[in-house]
Amino acid sequence: MDAFLTSRAVSDLLAGLVSGVVIGLVALSLVLIWRSTHILNFAQGAMAMFAAYVGMTQLSHRLDLGAFTLQLNYWWCLVIAILAGLAIGGVTERVLVRPLYGKPEINPIVVMVGFLATLEALAGAIWGTTTLSVPTPFSFVDWQLHGQPLALSPNDVFRIVATFVVAVLIAVLFRFTNIGLQLRASAVAPEVSRLLGVRVGRMLTLGWILASGVGAVAAVIQATSFSTGLTPSIMEAPFAIAFIAAAVGGLESPTGALVAGIAFGIMQQFVSDYLNSNYVLLIALGVLILVLMIRPQGLFSKRVVRRV
Amino acid sequence: MIRITGLSVSYGAVQALRDVSFDAPSGSVTAVIGANGAGKTTLLRSISGMVRPVAGEIDLDGTRLLGKRTEDIARLGVGHVPEGRGVIEEFTVEENLRLGALHGKQRLQAGLADQFDLFPVLGQRRRQHAGTLSGGERQMLAMARALIARPSVLLLDEPSLGLAPIVTADLMRTIKELCHDRELTVILVEQDAMSALRVAERAVVLHVGRVAADDRSEVIAGDEKLRHYYLGMAE
Amino acid sequence: MTPVFAVIDFRRAHPVLVRALLTLLFTCLALFLTYFFDPLTNYNLATGAAMAIVILGLSFLTGASGQVSLGNGAFMGIGAYAAAIWAVHHTTTPLVGTLALATLVGAAVGFLIGLPATRLRGPYLAGMTIAFALAFEPLVSIFSSWTNGDAPIQTPLLTPPGWLASLVHAPTSSLTTTNMWLADISIVVTGVAFFFMANLFRSRTGRAMRLVRENEVAAELAGVSLPRARVVAFMVSAAFAGLGGGLTTLVQGSVQSSTFNLGLSITILSLLVIGGIGTLSGALLGGLIFAYSQNWITWIEGKTGISSTSNLGGNLKGIIFGLALILVMLLAPLGIAGSIRFVILRQFKKHPLTRPSQSSTPQ
Repeated sequence: MDAFLTSRAVSDLLAGLVSGVVIGLVALSLVLIWRSTHILNFAQGAMAMFAAYVGMTQLSHRLDLGAFTLQLNYWWCLVIAILAGLAIGGVTERVLVRPLYGKPEINPIVVMVGFLATLEALAGAIWGTTTLSVPTPFSFVDWQLHGQPLALSPNDVFRIVATFVVAVLIAVLFRFTNIGLQLRASAVAPEVSRLLGVRVGRMLTLGWILASGVGAVAAVIQATSFSTGLTPSIMEAPFAIAFIAAAVGGLESPTGALVAGIAFGIMQQFVSDYLNSNYVLLIALGVLILVLMIRPQGLFSKRVVRRV
Repeated sequence: MIRITGLSVSYGAVQALRDVSFDAPSGSVTAVIGANGAGKTTLLRSISGMVRPVAGEIDLDGTRLLGKRTEDIARLGVGHVPEGRGVIEEFTVEENLRLGALHGKQRLQAGLADQFDLFPVLGQRRRQHAGTLSGGERQMLAMARALIARPSVLLLDEPSLGLAPIVTADLMRTIKELCHDRELTVILVEQDAMSALRVAERAVVLHVGRVAADDRSEVIAGDEKLRHYYLGMAE
Repeated sequence: MTPVFAVIDFRRAHPVLVRALLTLLFTCLALFLTYFFDPLTNYNLATGAAMAIVILGLSFLTGASGQVSLGNGAFMGIGAYAAAIWAVHHTTTPLVGTLALATLVGAAVGFLIGLPATRLRGPYLAGMTIAFALAFEPLVSIFSSWTNGDAPIQTPLLTPPGWLASLVHAPTSSLTTTNMWLADISIVVTGVAFFFMANLFRSRTGRAMRLVRENEVAAELAGVSLPRARVVAFMVSAAFAGLGGGLTTLVQGSVQSSTFNLGLSITILSLLVIGGIGTLSGALLGGLIFAYSQNWITWIEGKTGISSTSNLGGNLKGIIFGLALILVMLLAPLGIAGSIRFVILRQFKKHPLTRPSQSSTPQ
């Protein structure tokens, strides 16, 4: 059993799971935005990165709150990053996306790409391009199984658990709360929802806010490892794969996106190990083309793409 | 009561409504009938704020509706069952009703009990996805969803569309009872003029966007010229 | 006023001839000017012209068929590498041959990418092209036996002909002669490319594309094969990008994979949007902006005291281009050339006899 658990394949599986959860979260956030406003947010990764920077640069600072001072540790910074993500999402929807409803499809694509470039450059301008190291809240040393290293550390488990906590919270929000009901209704039937008194505009903004919060968590998790730290381009690669994962899963399904993201993360690990990391993106591209040619609406989507 | 004064609506170069005025008193059903394209749906959409008129006034018991957003008008107690019913297929029956009850005036459980009482079929199918319902059941769901919010006004756009005559007759009877029991202001837009005239106290006949007639429904039903020219009906 | 109408009638009767004459006119004018420009200006002109060709290709894809592609930086890179690899191994091939190769390779890869692209709509397509753009560098690494991996390939420098040297009274090796030669070649190639595009845009193929962009259902009903139109659009834009890439290699004398990253594709898109989608003059404007953007940024840095090595200085280009993209798209989606054209045409439409003919859309 031990030999199995520390074998190369299982190690790759575990490592892939650990890196895949970030991809899954980003894919999830992409689907959240797509479902609410039918826009593919190309700046999603960059917005998440920016929020992560806002949070993580506050590490070790002291917050003077009058009655007592707060020493900002990792957890507080995570909270700040999430709040920053929520804010960025809301502001972006109101300022950049609102004016584009009803315009040709190309406009939001171009604007979000421009936003992506701006955010990355802005982050570089404000915080520099040298890596900001983020200390891990848990040990990053792999556990040992009778002397053999298991490809899992406490920090890895934290990453996986955090992802599932976020996913579950989002799922609960959508399935069981009134806000979730309104969010879903605004996405699939905005006119009817208005007739029932739902403030659809606010729901759309809320969709962006939530998605950006999820993205912020993803970016912080991505940066929280001993080998990488925070850089302005940190979310570029995860975003590309997350987009492919979301498209493969079908942009309508949050669970599908999460699962596909994790699957791609695992694939990435295996390909990097057995072949060469250069092949990862090419294979992902190949999978995307293959899936969309066979099933244009994605693997998990129930909707059918209109074909004339 | 809904009071409409001098309402004019244009879609670009096409004028859908010209100087339409009438009253829809509460506690009674006012039918709006006329041929296809006469502007009936546009009228309801204007009341709900989905379409901006170029001129005119729409009042609900003295409150101006013009210029308000659709969701705000809905929250004022205007229930609108649109053309095609607008049932959310991905949701269950219960979720559709929950959505309707959110901004309404009664608690969810009481509201659900109420509607299942009115439409037992919905109670049986409460956990089913709305996409699996028949046409008649969808109409009931759409109405229940509007009613669960305890509106004071009910706008119905062609509820009989695609329904068998027996179902339609049932539906119309229910509408009439509800209207009287709850003092609702009901504006009933119908292609099927006769069934509308049977259930309504008053009727407004629209012809190419103008009011051609506005009278008690017996008068309209009895007027052969009207029936022939504006409603395209034979003997 | 009669001569004006005569010209307009002539223009309508012999469009290709008129375009050829106009192209010849502008090209000769530009060539004439290179004699007077200093070497740096000529060099900038050359790089700008190459970029203008790439932008024009994207303009066709986006403007004519309504698809957004963020992969044209990669197509440019493919053309650049094709030209470089060939030139290194076959030094005797004339310039035209190498450039033609770059164009063809671009078209071929454009075909490959265009095939799956036919199945994808809007954002899916854009996302796929992003993945393609990001895959370029790994691809170069994989084929490192040919491409020298991440390291640059040096190509043999272009030597100007003797008659040019005697024209400027300078040796063939001098910067004056060399850069003038580079600028002249680039101008001629650009002229040819723009002439081709102007005709394509007006041709049946071009009109079919635009119909696809405006109304897919109508296009299909009119007998246009949607997948075929999309693939052709991709091929054309990739061919142009390849040509621009090949030209860039020859002008710069080296090629490196890190140049052709996602940032480059975004820059191309920005320049297209700022210049004006679907206009020839817009593409030229974009090329010009590209050539001088570094100068302008340096000027801005000088005026505001920002150091080019500081965090802000290093990222200023990205911030400006990104913001420009957003602002132009939100406030003036037609771009500079497009907006100017729009205003001019509005004036023209008021005079009935100068109204553009029904069969062609305004240039």
